[in-house]
Amino acid sequence: MKKQKKWNEAVAPASINSFWKQLYRQRQLVLLALPAVILVFIFKYIPIYGILISFKDFNAAKGVWGSEWLNPLWKNFTTFFKNVNSQKIIWNTFKVGMMTLLFTFPTPIIFALLLNELKGKWYKKTVQTVSYIPHFISIVVICSMLNGFGSMTGMFNDVREFLGMARVNMNSGSAYFLWEYVGSAVWQGVGWGSIIYLAALSNVDTSLYDVANIDGANRWQKIIHIAWPTIKPTATIILIMNVGTVLNMDFTKILLMQNDTNRSALDVISTFVYQKGIVEGKFSYSTAVNLFLSAVCFALVFSTNMIVRKMDPENSLW
Amino acid sequence: MEKVILHRKKNKIHYGSRIFDIFLIILMAAVSIIFLYPFLNVISVSLSSNRMISTGQVTFFPREIILDGYKMLFQEQNIWGAYLNTVIIAAGSTVINLVCTSGIAYTLTYPNFVLKKFLTIALLITMFFGGGTVPTYILIQKLHMMDTWWALMLPNAVQAYNIFVYRSFYKGISSEIREAAKIDGASDYKILTGIYVPLSKALYATFGLFSIVNTWNSYYDALLYIKTDKLLPIQMILRKIVFVNSGLSAMSNSQQMIGNGEMNKLNVQYACVIATILPVLILYPFLQKYFAQGMQVGAVKG
Repeated sequence: MKKQKKWNEAVAPASINSFWKQLYRQRQLVLLALPAVILVFIFKYIPIYGILISFKDFNAAKGVWGSEWLNPLWKNFTTFFKNVNSQKIIWNTFKVGMMTLLFTFPTPIIFALLLNELKGKWYKKTVQTVSYIPHFISIVVICSMLNGFGSMTGMFNDVREFLGMARVNMNSGSAYFLWEYVGSAVWQGVGWGSIIYLAALSNVDTSLYDVANIDGANRWQKIIHIAWPTIKPTATIILIMNVGTVLNMDFTKILLMQNDTNRSALDVISTFVYQKGIVEGKFSYSTAVNLFLSAVCFALVFSTNMIVRKMDPENSLW
Repeated sequence: MEKVILHRKKNKIHYGSRIFDIFLIILMAAVSIIFLYPFLNVISVSLSSNRMISTGQVTFFPREIILDGYKMLFQEQNIWGAYLNTVIIAAGSTVINLVCTSGIAYTLTYPNFVLKKFLTIALLITMFFGGGTVPTYILIQKLHMMDTWWALMLPNAVQAYNIFVYRSFYKGISSEIREAAKIDGASDYKILTGIYVPLSKALYATFGLFSIVNTWNSYYDALLYIKTDKLLPIQMILRKIVFVNSGLSAMSNSQQMIGNGEMNKLNVQYACVIATILPVLILYPFLQKYFAQGMQVGAVKG
């Protein structure tokens, strides 16, 4: 015991010294890292510290630390769960997230498999190039288009009329929201999402196809037995990562799609946070609600990562 | 006999395969039209007369062409000003992003950098935790960045993910070059700017373009922080015209024309949509060229 202590005394100061010495020797590196470190500290870490206000009665004049603690500390959380709308908001968040996942996950895979079968290099390339364009279009433009297409004279209603249905204003009320939201997400993401699968497919061993041809396999069999197994690992990882972030949907899009006729029906947790925090100025309360969302999201990411690590340690995030 | 059967079977396969090919060609043509049609429709509607729009007769091509939507948009909204604002914001945030990210990513390629482990963990944490909208909003207020472009350029300039991608790209550059430069007495700053940056042109082209497009396309930060009309980026102008009730009604001449039936409100709104996406579509061929590389770079795990 005594010996141990002595040993510590002997070593510790020296190692601290050598840390500062080394830091001094590497001062050029420190200087290069400094701008990024400052920005990350200010804009990432100070807001994390700011989460404290979800347990405080935030007063701008007193600052985060000076504000009074709430009594009880979790008052904001109980207020949220007692709110009549909270269940609906949580349910909406799940619903939108799950629906998005359900449609945006498989479509790029199908698209990539079909593109892979397409004959003609030039044609394939053209289809690919066209399919990426929507990815680069801003969410405001997408929503502006949806707004126009869903109006009484818009494109969607032209289709409805063609199919023998009555024209309706799809922008008012919430009946068509989910389809517009998910449909546009698929339209926007299917081409871009297929890139990663196409990259995997381009690395497939061509001799497999030669062997399959000799065996007389048909196209469908080749897709099922050669192409699909090639992209399956990638697909698994992407699925798991998407599940992890299922509640982090694009709320800025929902924010745009909301109007006076459907605002309450479309609220998800993030839009609720925006409404309460930024619009109504209830800083503490909305931070608390956001903290709840972050905690659930983190649990999801964490548990999905555990699953990946079990299945395929190579691909886990940490 | 056996030979004949085999021969037949082979033929049949070819036949089915042919049909599948033709089906696929038609399907992909249809899919391409679905990708492009919304754009065509928006352009057509923005150029068509009210009569044609309100009777739902505009599809692929404009009918009874009028230019009033564009005229009124450029007359009553400061589109050129918004373009300039957006270009400044996009350029500023991209430069900050590239400079800061390069600096820290370079230091993380040194296996014996004393802060390497600490910084890596500190960055990883930011990938999973964040303060969220309101604490960031309070911070921006405290820093007196409200209603300035700093609020749009600084908070998201440094992303942990980008740093790790840069680092793995830099790691592809042989460290022997660095050692040789060191022996010649070059500083780390010189090595980074003189060797690493020129050797990473593909990386910078990709991430630079992506950063520009991302900034061009974002509206949420401006919605939170920019209150003065003159400072708004282009996306916020579009948002105002399409989604804010007072936005279009503030354009009195347009409002009058819409009221008279001389044009449709979609003329102005879609004209603004086109004005917003046109610069990105002009950049698109460049993006196209580089993002294949970018995806490969991104796929490298750090």
